[in-house]
Amino acid sequence: MSSKSLSLRNISKRFGNVIALDNFNLEVGVGELVALLGPSGCGKTTALRVVAGLEHQDAGTVLVADKNISDVPAHKRNMGMVFQAYSLFPNLTVEENVAFGLQMRKVSKHLRLKKAHELLDLVGLDSQSKRFTHQLSGGQQQRVALARALAFEPEILLLDEPLSALDAQVRVNLREEIRRLQLSLGTTTLFVTHDQEEAMAISDRVGVMNSGVLEQIDTPDALYNKPASSFVASFVGTMNRIPAHISDGMVEIFGSKVVALKRGNENGKVHALIRPESISVVATTAQGNAKVLTRSFMGASSNIICQTSDGTIVQSLMTSASTGDLLPGSSVQLRVLSSEVLVANV
Amino acid sequence: MAKALRVRFQPPLAVTLLILGFFVFIPMVSAFEYSIRTPLTGGYGWTHYLWAIREEEFFHYIFRSGWLAGLTVLITLIVLVPTMTWLHVSKSPIRPLIDGISLLPLVIPVVAFAVGAQISFPEFVQNTVLELPFLYFVLALPYAYRSLDIGLNSIPLKTITEAARSAGANWWRTITAVIVPVIRGSVMATIALTFALSLGEYTLTVLLHWDTFPTWVTFVAQDNILGAIAISMMSLIIPFLILTVITLFVPERSMQGRK
Ligand SMILES: Nc1ncnc2c1ncn2[C@@H]1O[C@H](COP(=O)(O)OP(=O)(O)OP(=O)(O)O)[C@@H](O)[C@H]1O
Ligand SMILES: [Mg+2]
Repeated sequence: MSSKSLSLRNISKRFGNVIALDNFNLEVGVGELVALLGPSGCGKTTALRVVAGLEHQDAGTVLVADKNISDVPAHKRNMGMVFQAYSLFPNLTVEENVAFGLQMRKVSKHLRLKKAHELLDLVGLDSQSKRFTHQLSGGQQQRVALARALAFEPEILLLDEPLSALDAQVRVNLREEIRRLQLSLGTTTLFVTHDQEEAMAISDRVGVMNSGVLEQIDTPDALYNKPASSFVASFVGTMNRIPAHISDGMVEIFGSKVVALKRGNENGKVHALIRPESISVVATTAQGNAKVLTRSFMGASSNIICQTSDGTIVQSLMTSASTGDLLPGSSVQLRVLSSEVLVANV
Repeated sequence: MAKALRVRFQPPLAVTLLILGFFVFIPMVSAFEYSIRTPLTGGYGWTHYLWAIREEEFFHYIFRSGWLAGLTVLITLIVLVPTMTWLHVSKSPIRPLIDGISLLPLVIPVVAFAVGAQISFPEFVQNTVLELPFLYFVLALPYAYRSLDIGLNSIPLKTITEAARSAGANWWRTITAVIVPVIRGSVMATIALTFALSLGEYTLTVLLHWDTFPTWVTFVAQDNILGAIAISMMSLIIPFLILTVITLFVPERSMQGRK
């Protein structure tokens, strides 16, 4: 196994006045797939390019298997990279593209073509090996790019939004394929995306970035259920921000009191952060505390959007079976299902 | 059939062809016709052509101009391709400046250039004919630069370069194994332009007192104008042959790679 661990320690990088990475730290274990998730311009690509050696950090160190590689040039780093834009060599056939890294490593033609076919087989494109790259669809091109990045058995695989130019169905298929390949080859992988569903679906851990720093890195589950900051809470999954009042560690929402998980003000006005699935909507004949705006049927579950009497929009996710009488305009009673809620300053 | 062959009348195209025909094609054909006339019999013959290829100097000068032009091409590619790749990839702020400088040879009068060279170049440079390829490089620079520029602008250079580097190619391999093959068309154009310009360069060569094929042809023309025409006609064929050979040596399939 050629896979190695990766560490970024106190990396800073600026472009003129723009701080792309601000004392950035990240650890990726051997064989682990970590996704970097964050809004546009938060520094995801920059972090990846620093690891690849395509950009040099102003400060900090990059370590691979605890060895400082900060001064190793890109072509000696032995890292496979897949780019957002199509990046195949148009003068080479599919198999020659995949064999390119091995050719640069002076592997004999016979061996490198054999390896290229192995990888093309893994990404399901062996039948296309003699074609030129402009004859392939976007999804196929990214598969070839993935095969090219893996063919020379890189120590680390770097993926910069490899799926963002593809349409929805292809994206989902290809992300599963990336994960399957990554698991079977055991390659340490850093995957950059701004699509949280994508990140959550295939990663061992997800790092959420915001303006050049890593806000939180955790398993998808922990990130969703125990967000460390209100930024993470709102960025990962859907989160209701409901104005509420906190006193003595209890938040009053929809007329009942719930334990506040410590964060933000101790007393006064706060926002309660509540997931849609933690809010129940029940139709009432009496005057409820909200009104249904819309109900969208999504199969097993339905999305109910309500407006409280003070004007706050609240989203709820419930099993479709219990939403039959929630017609738009009907008066309803909202209730918080969880016994604890996160709060954030207003 | 007749329908497919009917080309719609295009005034601008017609004007272009008319000018080309009048100023290039007709004089060329006339010169050729003139050079094969045999006044004594009133017919045609190859006398002057046979004279030319029996002339030892013909091959001497063709060969000399050929290798000087070849060397110029080599210098052009070795200097320009890496420089321009770097200028494009690094998005260097000095690129507009270099763009401008590359055009200078177009506006500098060759006579001034030649005199300046004679005054300023050290003896050992002026004593070797190897100064010519470097000077030809400068003269061909505006054309070579433009045609490479077009090629480099037509591809996603940054992504391709970075893909090559992260796959393990150093700069040299990136340029030779990826960039040059990808912009093969514009590299070929650069080669052809530089070669043709160097092969035909007269003014600067004469001013610096060197003898090459064009200066020799002019010399011959002084007392054997028909022989000079015959020589020039034959020299037209040579670049054509070279281009054909180049095309034959470059495998067909790599052309398909270009969209
Ligand atoms: N070469 C550069 N020159 C100048 N500024 C740059 C350069 N590369 C990145 N930046 C700036 O650095 C910041 C971080 O950029 P980066 O590309 O890392 O963001 P990102 O998280 O990948 O965003 P996206 O999701 O849009 O790809 C941005 O503000 C960007 O404008
Ligand atoms: Mg990016």
